[in-house]
This record gives sequence, structure tokens and C-alpha cells, in this order.
Amino acid sequence: MGFTKINGKMVEAQVVPGQRLFSQRGAMLAYSGDVRFTPNITGGQGGVMSMIGRRVANEDTPLMTVEGQGRVMFGHGGHHVHVIDLFGDTLYVEADRLLAFEGTLRQSTMFMGSQGGVMGMVRGQVTGQGLFTTKLEGHGSVAVMAHGGVFELPIVPGQEVHVDPQAYVAHRGDVRNKLSTALGWRDMIGRGSGEAFQLELSGQGAVYVQASEEKL
Amino acid sequence: MSYPPQPPYGSPHDQPTQPGFVVPPPPPNHGPQPGYPQQGGYPSQGGYPQQGGYPQQGGYQTPPPHQPPPPPHQAYAQEQFGGPIAPLPTAQGGDGPVVHDVHSLPVNDNVNPYAFSVELNGSYFLQKGKMVAYYGDITFKGVGAGMVDRMLGQHFNSPMHASDWVVAEGRGKLLLADRAFDLNSYDLEDGNLTVRSGNLLAFDPTLRLKQSIIPGFLTLIGTGRFVAASNGPVHFVEPPIRVDPQALVGWADCPAPCHHYDHDYMHGLIGGIRRLTGLGGASGEEHQFEFIGAGQVLLQSSEKLMAERSVGVVGAEAGVPMGGVPSQPGSAGHGGGNPNLPGLGNLGDLGRRFGL
Repeated sequence: MGFTKINGKMVEAQVVPGQRLFSQRGAMLAYSGDVRFTPNITGGQGGVMSMIGRRVANEDTPLMTVEGQGRVMFGHGGHHVHVIDLFGDTLYVEADRLLAFEGTLRQSTMFMGSQGGVMGMVRGQVTGQGLFTTKLEGHGSVAVMAHGGVFELPIVPGQEVHVDPQAYVAHRGDVRNKLSTALGWRDMIGRGSGEAFQLELSGQGAVYVQASEEKL
Repeated sequence: MSYPPQPPYGSPHDQPTQPGFVVPPPPPNHGPQPGYPQQGGYPSQGGYPQQGGYPQQGGYQTPPPHQPPPPPHQAYAQEQFGGPIAPLPTAQGGDGPVVHDVHSLPVNDNVNPYAFSVELNGSYFLQKGKMVAYYGDITFKGVGAGMVDRMLGQHFNSPMHASDWVVAEGRGKLLLADRAFDLNSYDLEDGNLTVRSGNLLAFDPTLRLKQSIIPGFLTLIGTGRFVAASNGPVHFVEPPIRVDPQALVGWADCPAPCHHYDHDYMHGLIGGIRRLTGLGGASGEEHQFEFIGAGQVLLQSSEKLMAERSVGVVGAEAGVPMGGVPSQPGSAGHGGGNPNLPGLGNLGDLGRRFGL
């Protein structure tokens, strides 16, 4: 299982009976074999309550269930795709960046305020994540979209990583993040460097950064 | 398109000379080529362009012609700049700007994923507005010029909108690009390849271009090379396969595709409700092109279409598909990705609009 990268913008997934995949609607490029695509009303896993949660949290990207036997190629919008394998750890990512993920992963919605209170909410606004973000945990693979290539920066204790909020894609592991501001008098008069807000991540894990400051 | 008429190109000798631009001397056994502005237009001495910020080592000159040819660009740079400067990045590395000249440009190959360099000696067909730069003595002729019309007759065996195409004639190097889409060249050897009309950029005149029976596609037949663009790199797959219509770039050798509709989830009780109310939406993957047989299918890595080119209208005639009908009814609508499903009741697009 898992996703195989075909090129920077395309992944291939093996679909075997009994194991579901979720993917963004319309992201299938081609498939061979006997594969069915069913629109997923609940927008992922966890039943109706999770669906309501996602709707409220605006994390309800239209998803479809992919079942059957064969291989499927995914790609969307010409965005770069990055495959992240999870081994029991947690990935935090915006729902609209999810291209596809395996059904073995548990999907839930997380309130940004639960990571750092009010500052977490401010952070969500600045990064464009909003007040909520999607959490995936368990064992499995995730294909995440980004504008421009993605690179992974490891986060080790005692060495925090600063990321431009617009270039932030996702992070995994036990990571605390906070918004650090470097506002000076220059910013007040509109002569700032344009980098007044930074995301400071510390702890143990990794952060995925895209080589662009453009949103999806 | 954004293609200016011929006069601005003119002959290469009245191109504005760029101060400080050095054309490296030709290799020794490289005869003077009548097309290339080696001596005429450019000053033979002077500084290298300063844009790179390299330290200038005091007025270096062009090496005399009897020296070994300046082969790869890096060695040339080393020789010129001396000193332990960082090696010039290569085109693939993406580490910085690469300075190309007429000799370092590849011959009929990609300069980078988004630009293609054609060594022109004779004529070449290209779509309007795809030329970004050229070296040498090249003229671009639209339709209406007598010579060109004769060539069109030979190679455009279709009621193509020939006005979308120009013929480049002369010798030199021609750089093609299209809105930073990925470019690839394909060699055909006595083969055939069908490609979406908007994706085709240029082709050898040894190939013959025909309009495919599938609307919006063009078929190239013969031996030669052509250049096509794609949104994201092209991936080759072999049939049997079903392909999202928007991700299809073209196919080679296999029989024309057929439509495949997939409404499995419309069955059963839940499916019935879904069908009647439109609740639940569509997966967006109900419709594919199915390929069978032997051959190759070309996929692009995204379902974002490139703008299609009109390939003209087939005359109304019994037995001709799309006869008399414009081949792209609403050419922009193709990218919608959500066909109007008959099963969605009278709600039409409402269900999807509400995210259901």
C-alpha cells in the first residue's frame, strides 16, 4: 500500500479489496482495474458527528471513497504532491491540501485554540488555516498538495524552526508552534520587510514547507 | 495572439547590439554560418554582462579563434572568471540563472522543463505565440504567403485553422515556451500520435497533421519530432486504462478511446435517494476515457486543461461525427469537470453547490 510518486505532481496508489482510500473529489487522473469512486457525504471518517464538526469548522473538503482493486493515479490542479508516511504519529494539515490518504488513518478536526490558546487562533488566521485544522493519526500514507516543491525540516528539541506562515504546509509529531512577531517601527509606517510574522515550531517532529508563498 | 508581425524581427544584422555581450567564437572546424550574427551585430570584445554579479577580472577578451572551442559552459566560465568561484549551476539544478549562448543551447532538446530549443535548418511549424526567442536568421510567415500556402497544403491535411500556425523558416536556434507549462518532444518513427490540440506547440514538416476523429484532438502521422506541452510532467501508461478526460494529453498507436460512465453508487436504496434528490453529490469521476489495445497513453499530472485550440469545423456530411458542428461547444466549459448528470433530478448543480 501507500503512494508511489510518479513525478513531482502525480502519485499512484494501489487499491486492494477491503482497504479504502480517501481522495479529493475529481483528483483521479487515471486508473486501471476495477475501481469505484463514490462521493463521500460525510467528507471523511468518523460518521455524521464528525461531518457536522467538519462542516462547522470549514474543514469539509469534498472527498470521495476509492475502493476496489487496481491502481489509481492522483493529481490535482498542477500542484506539487508530497507523500508523507505516518507510523503511529500525528499529522496536522489543512483539509484542502489533502490529495489522498489511506483509510487506515484516523481523521479528526482540531481547534487551533487548543494549541496555544488565543495565540493559536491568531496563528490560524495568519497562516490561513482558520480556526480549525485537520488531524490525521495512525499508520498509513498521506499525499499532500503544495504550491511549489515541498521540503521537510526536522524539528529537534532545543532547536526551533521558523517558517513563513504562508509557506507552511503541514507538521507532524509532538510540536508546539507559536506565532512570533518581529514587528518594528518600520512595519508601522509600511516599510516592513514583509516577514513580520513567523511561525516558530519547537519540540520533536518535522514541518513541511512549500517553496512558494502562494496558497492553494 | 501575442505574436508580433514580421517586421520587428527583421534581419539579424539590424538587431540592436547589446553592449557588453560576447558571443564566444565558433569552434575551429565550425564554418561561418550565414545565419548567425557572429561578427556583424555584436561587439567582439567587451565585458560579460554584469547582471550575475561576478567579479570582473579586468577586461578579458574573447579567446582567439584558434584556441580549443569553448566547450561546455562551465569550463568557459572558469577560464573567463578565473578564481575559485562557485561553479555555474546547470539547467537541471535550478540553482540560479544559466547563461546560454547560441552554442550552449541544446540542439532539439529541452533547455529546462519549460523551454525547448530547436535547431532550425529549413522550416518548422509552430503555433502562434509560442516562440520566445531565437538566434539566427529566421522568418516567421503566417498564412497568405505563397510558399507557405503550398506547404500548408502538403502538411495540414485538415481544415485546420491554419491561421493559428506559422511557419518558421531559416537557420538558427528557436526557443519555444508556453506559459511555463512543461514541454516535451516526441519522436515519431513512421507512427501516429494523437494529441490535444491545445497542447501541440510545434512539429517537424516531415510530419503530417490531421484532425482526429475525436473532436479537439489532432493526429500527427509520419516520421519526425514534435513538441507538446502539458500541465505537469507527462506520464506514459499502457492500456487497458481509464483516464480522466481532463488529464488526457494524447495517445499513440492505440485505437481511439471510448467513453466509460460509472454510476455504481447510484444503485440500491441509498443510490436511489441520491439519484432522486441529488444529495450526496457526484464523485466527479463518473466519466472516463477508456483505452484498450496496444499502445501508449499520455497523461498529464493535473486535470487542469490547457486552453484548447480550435481545429476547425468538419463539413456537414452524413456519417461524419460532429459534422457541421463546431468541435468544441463552449471550449471553456470542458474544464468544469462535472458533467451534467441525468440522475441528479431537477436539482442540477444545486447539490454540489451546497457541498453535498
